[in-house]
Amino acid sequence: MRSYLLRRLPSALLVLLLASFLIFAILRLVPGDPASSLAGPDASAATVAAIRERLGLNAPLLTQYTSWIGDLARGDLGPSYAIGGDTADLIRDGLGATVELTLGALLFVILLGTAFGVLGATSRRRWVRGVVRVATTGALAVPPFVTGVLLVLVFAVTLGVLPPGGRVPVLSAPDLGVQYLLLPSLCLALPSAAVLGRYLKDGIERTLAEDYMRTATAAGVTPRRLLWRHAMPNALPPVVTLLGMQTGHLLGGAVLVEAIFAWPGLGQLAEAGLTRRDYPVVQDLLLLLVAVFVLGQLLTDAVYAWLDPRIRWE
Amino acid sequence: MTEQYPFTPPDVSRRSTLRAAGAGALLAGLGGLTGCRSAVSEANSSAKEARSQPKRGGILSVAVNTDFTPSLLFAQSSQSYQHRLLYNTLTRYDDGLKPQPELATSWDYAADGRGITLKLRDDVTYHDGRKFTADDVIFAVKNLQNPVRAAQLRATALAVSGFEKRGDHEVVLKLAHPVANLFDLFEFMIITDRHSVEDAVKGTKLNGTGPFRLKKWSPGSGLSLVRNDAYWQPGRPYLDGVELRVMAQADALVSSLRSGQSQLSYQVPGKSLAAVKGNPDLTITSYDTGDGAAYVGVNTTVAPLDDKTVRQAVAWALDRERIVDQTLGGYGLASAAPWPKSSPAFTEAGRTHYTHNPAKARRLLKSAGLTRLRLPLLHLSLPGETAIAESVQYDLKQVGIAVELQPTDPATAQKKLISQDMPALWTMSHGFAQVQPSTLAVSAYPFNEAKNTSKYHSAAYTKVVREAWTTRDTAGAATNAQYRKISGILLDQAFIIDLAIRGRVQVASKKLHGVTLNKFSYLNLDDAYLV
Repeated sequence: MRSYLLRRLPSALLVLLLASFLIFAILRLVPGDPASSLAGPDASAATVAAIRERLGLNAPLLTQYTSWIGDLARGDLGPSYAIGGDTADLIRDGLGATVELTLGALLFVILLGTAFGVLGATSRRRWVRGVVRVATTGALAVPPFVTGVLLVLVFAVTLGVLPPGGRVPVLSAPDLGVQYLLLPSLCLALPSAAVLGRYLKDGIERTLAEDYMRTATAAGVTPRRLLWRHAMPNALPPVVTLLGMQTGHLLGGAVLVEAIFAWPGLGQLAEAGLTRRDYPVVQDLLLLLVAVFVLGQLLTDAVYAWLDPRIRWE
Repeated sequence: MTEQYPFTPPDVSRRSTLRAAGAGALLAGLGGLTGCRSAVSEANSSAKEARSQPKRGGILSVAVNTDFTPSLLFAQSSQSYQHRLLYNTLTRYDDGLKPQPELATSWDYAADGRGITLKLRDDVTYHDGRKFTADDVIFAVKNLQNPVRAAQLRATALAVSGFEKRGDHEVVLKLAHPVANLFDLFEFMIITDRHSVEDAVKGTKLNGTGPFRLKKWSPGSGLSLVRNDAYWQPGRPYLDGVELRVMAQADALVSSLRSGQSQLSYQVPGKSLAAVKGNPDLTITSYDTGDGAAYVGVNTTVAPLDDKTVRQAVAWALDRERIVDQTLGGYGLASAAPWPKSSPAFTEAGRTHYTHNPAKARRLLKSAGLTRLRLPLLHLSLPGETAIAESVQYDLKQVGIAVELQPTDPATAQKKLISQDMPALWTMSHGFAQVQPSTLAVSAYPFNEAKNTSKYHSAAYTKVVREAWTTRDTAGAATNAQYRKISGILLDQAFIIDLAIRGRVQVASKKLHGVTLNKFSYLNLDDAYLV
């Protein structure tokens, strides 16, 4: 296994190297530059030139690139040009916020998805099934930027029970942090919860129609036990696979929800970095995403190789 | 017929429904974790506790749409609210542009305009306990002379050619020539700790003499400030602290105000002001001194805009009143000249020099041999700016000028502006008309007499600007005559076509009192309190 991974490592590093080069080049091709962005609309040419010099933008591109990669290899992400502070701190804080939001949303997806699935599949009352159907259709059809505004209007502006935006980290002040987390995570979760609920409903209905369920019923198993001990375990595997895929969607969707709820995550950081041409922040952030993807691929390959020895010897 | 469910399905009974509802309520009520604080009441509690009269205590939450940018600490930017909270300036202007004491208690401007003697407060300390002295003033001026600081008033700082320290609390600034906008510099220049200035521009240490100390800066979230108990103004500030919350999206910012999470903002977009206006808990105050103006810039090297008749036709074609009403929510002053009403250069004749007169615009175009024209117009790809550009496009279409809009992100537009790379027309905002008129022509790049985006050059403009800038006096008949000459050239040559003075619009909770802004939009909360 170790030799297999060692064989895969060079190609992963090559992908990272190529990605770093592309990210560096593309950012320089985008119009506008950090110096004039920092200098402001009333700056003189002397001011722009001085800022360019201070940021090291007058150095040859190859020098700038090798300097970036060299610093990165030493674990030094350097200071941000425009946003301020250290790039590593900015990315760490943004990542923490985005992960917190995604985990909160994941919790809502599981809770709401399960509720939708169970109620939709098992309720004898037509109106309950109708309500579930309308709710899941609505959650799927209404985009998060509409849901977000509505949630804020109801819970923050009209009822005044939850804050409309901002963040207090859950780990630093759990009681406040959870309240800040509720609306954005619910907004982010709704479409995925609807998808999950529909999959779960179908799965439960299929399982409940199996012969062994009839047998269990005849044997006197209570409906509750039938559902939670027999039907659910059989309906869950495809739903769990779907949940894994939805987690990726949640991370992607977090960018929009962060903007609506002023949530200082990676999406907001990337937007601020791009708007101000903050090269270090954008470069490191994009490379981090590529690294996560490459690592994910490497892990997947490792799992496949572990499961199927033939792959290790190819 | 096959029965779908060969058993009685586990239905949702009333009891289980109630249980589920209870669980849901528990989830929704996570905020009500037993004995825990409420994030909403946490934000509002300070306001509720206070009653009437100035009273100590409370945290003020200010909603801003851009985060503090430490690298722009010494430049005027769209977010300078924290400057006067953390730092002080040497003097501050009153509404009539008359300087008032702050860290400088008095001043004596030499009759020949070649120096100014400043007497400084001797009871001021920085947040870290160090005493404020004349060396800090000398450093502050030298710091702004450094081009890396991107200070728009660098030209004025560079006019200071020497320093003479007379003890720890008196200093003479020697001037290379008389400077009309010296007190603009003193209003603009924050007095920072000279030992930690490099940390300040990184945002890691903001050590000033202001009424509040930095508690925490969370990039992307905002600034958290606490009262400076050793502030030199006795009994001030009243507030325990200030939070500057970043709400980049306009809807989030407005919701923050409407829900009471924030009590103050200056960045509610024009189109959202109507929604805020009806809220009984909020008040809207417009600062008619203005802090910027929307304009259409003209590249005078692009034919046929090299002919001033065509530029004037554009100026006559624009409906400024409609632009104020529709894009600025009615908060602004339609004006053909750059000056707000508080400026010594303001005249009603200048403001209304160009009014909406499409017939006259068509006549001028015809006299220039043109009936139809196609021109590009660059604008910032932001909602408010796009609305202005579309209004301009509509107006120009009425006189036969087809405008092709070029939405551009701010960073790219800024580079094009500075590098004189703008297309035939562009629309943006300029600052610096709210202070001494000469500052506009030496510090605002679009108007700069030596080099500007319009590539407009004129010996007469350079002469009158230099004369207005290098005079000691800022009032009087001669000075006013120079201001009129500057206005006359700007209006006649129309290389910058002003549209509207954008007044700073303050949306505040009715519980908040005593808030002021300086001419560079530094928030002053010395006397602010919550009732």
